[in-house]
Amino acid sequence: MGYHQIRFEKDSDKAIHNESLQKALVNVTDRFRSARNKASSKVSDWEELRTAARKIKKDTIANLDHYLVQLEESVKRAGGKVHWAKDADEASRIIVNIAKDGKVKSVVKSKSMATEEIELNSSFEQAAIKVVETDLGEYIIQLAGEHPSHIIAPAIHKTKDDISKLFSEKLGIPYYEKPEELTKVAREKLRSEFLSAGMGVSGANFAVAETGTIVVVENEGNARLTTTVPKIHVALVGIEKLIPRYEDLSLFLTILARSATGQKSSTYVSFITGPKREADIDGPEEFHLVLLDNGRSKILESEQTRESLYCIRCGACLNNCPVYRHVGGHSYGWVYSGPIGAIITPQLMGIDKAPELPFASSLCGACHDVCPVKIDFPKVLLELRKNVIESKEKNIRAGGAFLEKAGIKFWRFSVEHETIYKLLNKLSYYFQTPWKQSNGKLRSLPYPFSRWTDERDFPSVAKKTFRERWKELKDETG
Amino acid sequence: MTNSREEILHTIRKGLNGVSSKQNFADGNFPDEAREIKQLTIEQRSKLRTQFISELKNVNTNVLEAHDEDEIKKALLKLVKEKKLESFSIWESQYLKELKIKEELKNAGLKLVTAKNKNRIAKSDIGITEVDYAIADTGTLVLLANKNQPRSVSLLPPIHLAIVQPENLASNIKDLFVILKSRLAEGDDITSCMTFITGPSRTADIELNLTLGVHGPKELFVIV
Repeated sequence: MGYHQIRFEKDSDKAIHNESLQKALVNVTDRFRSARNKASSKVSDWEELRTAARKIKKDTIANLDHYLVQLEESVKRAGGKVHWAKDADEASRIIVNIAKDGKVKSVVKSKSMATEEIELNSSFEQAAIKVVETDLGEYIIQLAGEHPSHIIAPAIHKTKDDISKLFSEKLGIPYYEKPEELTKVAREKLRSEFLSAGMGVSGANFAVAETGTIVVVENEGNARLTTTVPKIHVALVGIEKLIPRYEDLSLFLTILARSATGQKSSTYVSFITGPKREADIDGPEEFHLVLLDNGRSKILESEQTRESLYCIRCGACLNNCPVYRHVGGHSYGWVYSGPIGAIITPQLMGIDKAPELPFASSLCGACHDVCPVKIDFPKVLLELRKNVIESKEKNIRAGGAFLEKAGIKFWRFSVEHETIYKLLNKLSYYFQTPWKQSNGKLRSLPYPFSRWTDERDFPSVAKKTFRERWKELKDETG
Repeated sequence: MTNSREEILHTIRKGLNGVSSKQNFADGNFPDEAREIKQLTIEQRSKLRTQFISELKNVNTNVLEAHDEDEIKKALLKLVKEKKLESFSIWESQYLKELKIKEELKNAGLKLVTAKNKNRIAKSDIGITEVDYAIADTGTLVLLANKNQPRSVSLLPPIHLAIVQPENLASNIKDLFVILKSRLAEGDDITSCMTFITGPSRTADIELNLTLGVHGPKELFVIV
């Protein structure tokens, strides 16, 4: 099931009118937000950690080619294979070919946004290879044929009742009400998948250039199983996930779980360096690292937006965003939602495919405040808005762009000429009469002003300007 | 595939305007730092242990306190009885061998399941390991895989029991990485898989209700 064209305005309107979704969004964002606040407040040097983390990411991205080459050497030294994928199609091809070479009939997957990005599951299905999502949230949405709506909790848009019905329908079992019972069902069903799969596919939260170690953070244990039990382990990792040295992990692990869920540490962290060693009793015999570009290298061109690559995918920005809280993940139309989605989707997909997203923000900056690597979202969003306006593909914004430009030119002219400005003020006082309510507000105005008044009232123009009243008062009081 | 590699690196270098250079991060003196960290007084060790126990409990880990070999064995046998355990899988690691845990359990009538068969380990009632290190301020166990320490033992059975020696406690994750890095600096080969374990497996994917025991062990016991 592919992703359709991004239609933020339409989809967010639908989301706002979906009562159960609204309840779920308030629930998840409130909980994650307060948990993050609590956890971060207990770390006395939290701000210093954020600054240090940003610096490491900045230095790494600024020297990405060197670190990628170092990572490749380290992984090879540990007995692993490294593949480079310049786009989604190539990445899927590489991974499916690894499966075919290994005569793999079924694949287990742990949670990976990158694999969603390249739509890996449909490539497996086309190759007639069974693929099973093992993260409970991803398992739920796989059964439902949907896409994740939150980076950390992919099925959060579904109610308990939704899930009970879904399991009962798709798995042919009775309707179980309690989450414990549903979880037990998933555990039993997926156990047999883990034990019989020929290949496990994971993502990674970090890749350490110095040692060739990939790091997978989770709570359920499915990533451990995915990367331990099957004979072949494939890790798909975005090239921006690199960090330089082994010890840098202590900093990033300190801030990741706290920012994401408010936990001091997630339940399991796996540090995987190559396949099993010869003497090891278990572990995969083959380890493949697939480095994914898919537009990331292009983001490096722009210094203004380069920091989009610092993201460690914690989801804190989503949980603190007033827009996300109301419209949910699906409104963003792709894998990444919330503020991070608003900045990387247009950059990875091309600005013409997602021109609405940089505008899906009030620029309040709450995201910037909580981002563990201090990504300046408002700055990046403004830069992207500029790109949208300047972009040749003005199809969607055509009408708006022309009027906006004309309007701003007109405004500039009037404020540069005082007489004209004063005249316009007086005229608008009289011309507004048909739309002025008894409470002094303008409730609905004709186009293009309707784009404001459709959503909110506008105060009416007063009879006297502030300067006139000031002058009058001064004259009065001498 | 070589083509993509060159293309990607080329695009990156172009985008960075050719100003990239490998950063010379000042490398710490890890072996010295590690030595410093490990020198703790008895009182400091005891404090660390107390903190560790409290953090373990915060993440739903069952703690069995033991101060000597006898207490360890007593705690173990009590657990066997309580949980009506019939089979076990275990690490062939140094400390567990010293304690003769394997023999103790066989004598108590439990069946030993070899770690070589993943289906059998999954069916054993409990997996027993020691730890290479532990982190006090988060209640985390640190396990390194090697020929005597298979990954599956702490993963497949429904109960995981870890026996922790207090001298393996590190204060926090930063100190732990100093110790790990110093081992690498001194020529140790890096393990194929190091695992941090903080509590039993869990999820909050269904309406954010916390449920314990998803894919990993449902229960975690620590004897310390």
